[in-house]
Amino acid sequence: MELSTTGDKKRYKVGIPRALHYYRYYPFWKKLLEELDVEIVLSPPTNKKIVEEGVTHGFGELCIPVKIYYGQVLKLVENNPDLDFLFVPRYVSEVPESYFCPKFLSLPDVIKILPEVPKILNFEVNVKEFPISTSAIELGKQLGKGQTASVDAYKKAQKYFDEYHNFLRDGGSVNHALRLVHRNLPFKLPKKQTKGDLRFLLLGHAYNIFDSFINLDFIKKLHEQGVEVLTIENLPEYLFKKPVIVNPRGGILRNYWRHEEEIMQAIRFFLTKGKNEIDGVIFLISFACGPDSLISELIMRDMKVVGLPFLEITMDEHSGEAGMMTRIESFVEMVRRKRKKLGLEPRWKSKIKFYEGT
Amino acid sequence: MLISFPNMGPNWVAFKTLFTALDLDVVVPDPTNREAIKIGVKYSPEFVCFPFKATLGDFVNAIEKGADTLVMAIDCGPCRFGFYASVQERILRDMGYKNIRIIPLDQADLLEFHWVKTLQEVSGRKDLFIYSKYIKAVIYFLKKAKLLNDIQTAEGLFRAYERNLGDTTRVVNELLEKLDKANTLVELRNFKKVIKNDFNSIDIEKSRTPLRVGLSGEIHISLEPYVNLDLRRKLGEMGVEVHQSLSLYDWVVHKFHLNYHRKWLEHLAKPYVPMDIGGECVWVLGEYIDKAKAGFDGFIHSYPFTCMPEVTARTIITNKLKKMYDLPIIYFSFDEQSGQEGFRTRLEAFYDLMEARREREIKSTPEFMANGQKKIYPQYGGEFYNEIAQLIQAE
Ligand code: SF4
Ligand code: SF4
Repeated sequence: MELSTTGDKKRYKVGIPRALHYYRYYPFWKKLLEELDVEIVLSPPTNKKIVEEGVTHGFGELCIPVKIYYGQVLKLVENNPDLDFLFVPRYVSEVPESYFCPKFLSLPDVIKILPEVPKILNFEVNVKEFPISTSAIELGKQLGKGQTASVDAYKKAQKYFDEYHNFLRDGGSVNHALRLVHRNLPFKLPKKQTKGDLRFLLLGHAYNIFDSFINLDFIKKLHEQGVEVLTIENLPEYLFKKPVIVNPRGGILRNYWRHEEEIMQAIRFFLTKGKNEIDGVIFLISFACGPDSLISELIMRDMKVVGLPFLEITMDEHSGEAGMMTRIESFVEMVRRKRKKLGLEPRWKSKIKFYEGT
Repeated sequence: MLISFPNMGPNWVAFKTLFTALDLDVVVPDPTNREAIKIGVKYSPEFVCFPFKATLGDFVNAIEKGADTLVMAIDCGPCRFGFYASVQERILRDMGYKNIRIIPLDQADLLEFHWVKTLQEVSGRKDLFIYSKYIKAVIYFLKKAKLLNDIQTAEGLFRAYERNLGDTTRVVNELLEKLDKANTLVELRNFKKVIKNDFNSIDIEKSRTPLRVGLSGEIHISLEPYVNLDLRRKLGEMGVEVHQSLSLYDWVVHKFHLNYHRKWLEHLAKPYVPMDIGGECVWVLGEYIDKAKAGFDGFIHSYPFTCMPEVTARTIITNKLKKMYDLPIIYFSFDEQSGQEGFRTRLEAFYDLMEARREREIKSTPEFMANGQKKIYPQYGGEFYNEIAQLIQAE
């Protein structure tokens, strides 16, 4: 924390549950809130108890990430009875043509009615209605900050967030980067880099990919099998400039889900120009996820056309270690065999970076 | 070119008129049935919401009956519905129906008629582009949709009083046939009378005191009897008055921003969910509060398994509204595995619960005791509702 309390004014204590959009926006939130003179309390990494808690509170038809969110909120509140606020943002729309999944639209509404939660710190991102700077001003108001201070904080947060993204595009992994953010360390790649003879693109929502408890340490398992892993966050920005048109031959539809758009933009690249940059694709989805139920169908149909190895894994709170391991092993095995049969050398160079025009 | 569209209960009557008024050829799919569901399930993504599967099944049925152009409503977020048409079209092509087109009907701009332009292109018929024709199409569509809404209102009340099980259902089916054939403005203008007359011919037992239940939820599941296991009819035949303002007409009027009832519901729901998050979430919350305030005996929320907005609605009712308003509620989440068995038992248990609650309510309210141990319900419902209610009350 670079900022200290100014005089006798008490700093607000704000809790952030380590779930859902934490894996996407935490660096931005942290900078924004700290610039607004707030003390942040983060809930611990997901564990068995948190999942169990979440599962008892959310009912069966909810997707597991939202159940974990419940569990994280309850844990946070239990551990910190002195919180002034709980930070539960409402992400409606981040770019004008898109929405988030309906569950993000109503997140504060389902959390604020849980027993004994402190006041919710409102932060609504809805660029269909107003710019994000306005959201920041509204946030500042609740913390007793003026307009200039809030806009300033927003600008600084955005700048920091851009740096963070650049670091990821240089090959930093999200979990490593989040650790650096949390400890206020500069962005630096770890000395030890994982090397492998295969490279997979790992698709899915950040909270499925980077919550290593719920996905049973998926990335580590792949590393152990000699597989290097790319995620959407590592890919260059230009891949995400053009919108994806679903079903271009018929009733043209512009994809309107923000996350899914990124997933489909990434896959579009690897289906065409980037075909030789990876050896396979794995899509991690959560049971009962609405958007992914449709997107994975489209991706699967595209993959069949191109002939790129594709594995879809649906996880829930009952996913078992053994079953997951077998599926990964046999998939990796299959890809290796296929490559050998075709007599292919590793096609890509070890450096994870694609420039425009590759 | 032969046009078709998916089923949504009785609303084929309105959809059909939209196209016949444009002088297009239409084939109506068979009522949704086991075979259609089987095919829909087989070719749909495993975890997609049930209406996707059911409507895909309808499409295959329509194609086998000769349809080549399918019309499907779409919207642009935030829920899955916007993807239906595109993904279904892709699936149909992969299934081998190469020359099929799904024309998306964007419900956000019904009056802009982009879809008519597309139909014109597809059919190669320039004469579709006559302005007066669309006006007629829209007027017929809206009028029939409104009349279907009226039939639904009357049906919900009458069935609870019919002496011979099935009379109301028969009258409704006859009315649908008649409405389908009514294709002049004069007939449509007089149709309300037809509805009232036909219902009035049902032999009813006026002295009954049925329980009152509000029904709401995701629109396709709530309106298509095959997928909701004929919930409305079951309730009616158990002797329950069913009140449901959700209908195709209700939705379309909302899309024209003229639905004041929905605005009222939004207002009621605002403290709990301040915006439309897709599906019927906000309005379900509003309905629940509204029905609780109107002294109803129970509420039924039905939706497709894992439906995102409705799951949110359910969470908020369970964790908050139920505790505040204490209106008994039962949730039904439907998918291809829903069976009659557990369904019946649950409905019956819910009936008993509501009845016991009403008994207690009567015993603890002197006013109700004085009324011959009968609960007095507050005034409720729109104009047509009151006309129908009078038919039942009149001595
Ligand atoms: S996108 Fe899927 S996993 Fe994420 S909150 Fe929505 S339904 Fe759940
Ligand atoms: S509202 Fe429910 S049924 Fe409709 S698209 Fe969304 S999830 Fe599916």
